[in-house]
Amino acid sequence: MRTVSKLLGLACVWLVTQPASALNIFACEPEWAALARALAPQADIYSATHVYQDPHYIEARPSLIARLRRADIAFCSGAALKEGWLPALQQRAANPAVREGAPGMFYAADVVSTIEKHHEALVGRGHVHAEGNPHLHLDPDRVQTIARHFSQRLMQLDPEQAPQYRQAFQVWQKHWKQKRLQWKQQALALSGKSVVVQHSTFSYLLRWLKLKPVADLEPAPGVSPTLSHLDTLTKSLETEKPLAIVHNWYQSDNSARWLAKRISVPVLALPSTVSEKDGISTLDQLFDHLIAELRSAQL
Amino acid sequence: MKLKSLPSLVPYSLLVSLAVPGVVEAADEKTRISATVDAYYKSDNTALGGREDGLGLGHTELSVQHQIADLFSARLTAIAEVNDVENNGDIEEAYLETLSLPAGLSVRAGRFLADLGYLNGQHSHADNFVERPLVYRGFLGNHYFDDGLGVRAVLPTDYYWQLSAAAFTGDHLGNFESGPSVGAWTLATKVGDDIDESQSWQAGVSYLRNRMDLHAGHEEEHEEEEDHEHEEEHAGHSHGAAFSGEHMYIADAVWKWSPSGNNKSQQLSVSAEYFKVTDISPEAGAGDHDGWYTAAVYRFAPEWSVGVRYGELNARQEHEEGVFENADLRETTLMAAWNPTHTQTVRLQYTHQDAAGIEGEDNAVTLQYLISFGAHDAHSF
Repeated sequence: MRTVSKLLGLACVWLVTQPASALNIFACEPEWAALARALAPQADIYSATHVYQDPHYIEARPSLIARLRRADIAFCSGAALKEGWLPALQQRAANPAVREGAPGMFYAADVVSTIEKHHEALVGRGHVHAEGNPHLHLDPDRVQTIARHFSQRLMQLDPEQAPQYRQAFQVWQKHWKQKRLQWKQQALALSGKSVVVQHSTFSYLLRWLKLKPVADLEPAPGVSPTLSHLDTLTKSLETEKPLAIVHNWYQSDNSARWLAKRISVPVLALPSTVSEKDGISTLDQLFDHLIAELRSAQL
Repeated sequence: MKLKSLPSLVPYSLLVSLAVPGVVEAADEKTRISATVDAYYKSDNTALGGREDGLGLGHTELSVQHQIADLFSARLTAIAEVNDVENNGDIEEAYLETLSLPAGLSVRAGRFLADLGYLNGQHSHADNFVERPLVYRGFLGNHYFDDGLGVRAVLPTDYYWQLSAAAFTGDHLGNFESGPSVGAWTLATKVGDDIDESQSWQAGVSYLRNRMDLHAGHEEEHEEEEDHEHEEEHAGHSHGAAFSGEHMYIADAVWKWSPSGNNKSQQLSVSAEYFKVTDISPEAGAGDHDGWYTAAVYRFAPEWSVGVRYGELNARQEHEEGVFENADLRETTLMAAWNPTHTQTVRLQYTHQDAAGIEGEDNAVTLQYLISFGAHDAHSF
C-alpha cells in the first residue's frame, strides 16, 4: 500500500503544478504549425510531422504522446489523415483538452468542404475515404476560411488574449489576399495544361490553378506504382503530353523518372508542405515556391 | 494438409464479412469498427502454446469502439480461434475508459489487456511474428487480459513518462483452484522519447503480483468428473500461463530507426524483453523461472519486411512432490512479410526449437494471411 500512497502523493504534486502560461499548440501537420505561428505568435507551437514523412503513416511515438499530453489545442487536417495515429495519441495522452469533440481539438476538414469523396472501400483500395481528400491546405481559399475559424477558436479558448489574436488574423488576412491575387495572375499561364501526379496530394492546388491531373502513377490511392500500370500510362500519354510529372519530396522518384524518360517530359519534385530548413517556412512561401516550380516546367 | 477444419472456418469468416460492411455504414464519427481475419497454415505443432498445426483461424477479432458523451470511451473486442482441436470464442476486451479526468489521468474498468512488458498491451494482429515470444506464451498465456480496474497517468514531462497500476480478479492467469477477490495486481512504468529525427526509443519496467492459490490443489486431485470436463475444455491448448509464481518482473526496451522519420518506406525496429518469475513454490530449492527474447524487424520497402527473433525460457518444473528440474526451451524465428495493400499481410515464418526437459519441441513453417476491415487500426509504437 505504500506504493499506492506514493502514487497519490505524486498525483497531487502534478495537479497543482499544471502550467498556465503561453498557449501550447500541437499541429499534426507542418502547414498548420506555420499558420498557427502567424495567428498566435506568442504560443508554444510544435509540429508532429515534417515534409519528408508520409502523413498517412505516422506512428504514435512516445515523444508525440508527451507533446499531446501538454497541448491546450491540437490543429489537424482531419479527414483521412487523422486515421491510424491520432486516435491512438489521444487515447494514450489522456488530455481532455484535445479529446474528440472538445473545443481544443480543431480539424481543418470540419470547417471547409473536401473534394474527391468516395464511398468507403473495404478492401484493397488503399487510402481512400468517404471524408474526401485531406490535403486541403493546398487551396488558398480554403486556407483563408480555416485561418478565420482557427483564429475564432483561439479567442474562444484564450479570451484574455482575444485582441491580439484578432489583430494577428487581420494582418495575416490582408497579406494573404494580396498574395492570392498575385498567384491568380501567375496561374493564368498554367490554366488548362495537364500534369501527371503520384498520389492525390496536390489535387486542391491543381484545381485552384486550373491544371488538369490527367494521370496518377499510383494504380489506386496509397498503393505504390506498378510496372504494368506505368506501361498503360505510357501508351495513353503518348498522344497528349503533360506539362510535367509531379511527385512529393517523401516519395521515391523512380517511377516518375521511368515514365519521364519514355514520354520525355520533366519531373518535378515538390514539397507537399512547409519546411523551415529548406527556406519554406510559411504557407505563402510554399505557394510561391509551388507556383514558381510549375511555371518553370513550362519553359 | 488437414482439411477437416475447413467447414468450421466458413461460418466464422462469413459472420465477419457479412457483419462488417453493414455496421461500417451505420457508424457515426464517434464509433469505430474494425475486424481482422487471421488465417494460417502451420506445418507442425511446436512446444509451449503457439498455434495448432494444420489450417486454422488465429486471432480473428471484431472490435467496436464508441465515445460516450465526452466522458467515456467504450471498447468491446470479441475474438475467435478455430483449429483442428477447438473452436474458441472469447471476449478479450470490454471496458470503459475515462476521457475527462485532469492531469493526464485515466481510469479503465472492465476487461482489458494488462499493462505488462512491451507487447502485452498491444493487439496481436499488429505483431511482427505469427506467435508471441516464448516468455509471453510460457508466463502470460500468450497475453494477459482480465476483469479489473486500472489507473494510468501520463506525466507532464518533456519526454514520455507513464505510470500505471491495476487490480484484477486473477481468473485469466491460469487454471487456479481459488484466490482472493483481487487475485492479481500490476504496476508499470514506461519512458520514451526521440533521439533525433530518425530514431526513437521506449523502455519500461513492470510487475505482476499473482495472489491466486498457486500451490494447493493440482488437477489430479480433483474429482474425476470435474477433471474430465476441464481437460476437454482446455485440451492441447493453454489459456493461462504454463509457469507461474507469486512475483513477475519484466524489463522491456524498444528502439526504432527510419531515415528522416519516414517510416512508410523504411524502418528498423529492435526490441528486447526480460522476464523473471519468483516464489514459484514454498519448497526450498524450487528456484525461479526466467526468460528473454530479442527481435529485429526491418522494413526495407513499403510492402516488404523481414525479421528475426531469438528467445529463451528457463523454467523449473515439479516432477514429483518437492523435486524440481530444469525445463529449458530455445526458439529461433525467421519471418518475411508482404503487405500488398495497407490492410493485408501475407507472412511466412520458420520456427526452430531446442528443448531440454520440455516435450513437443519441433520445427515449423507457418503461412499467415491477415486482412482488416473498417476503421484503420492505429500505428502504435
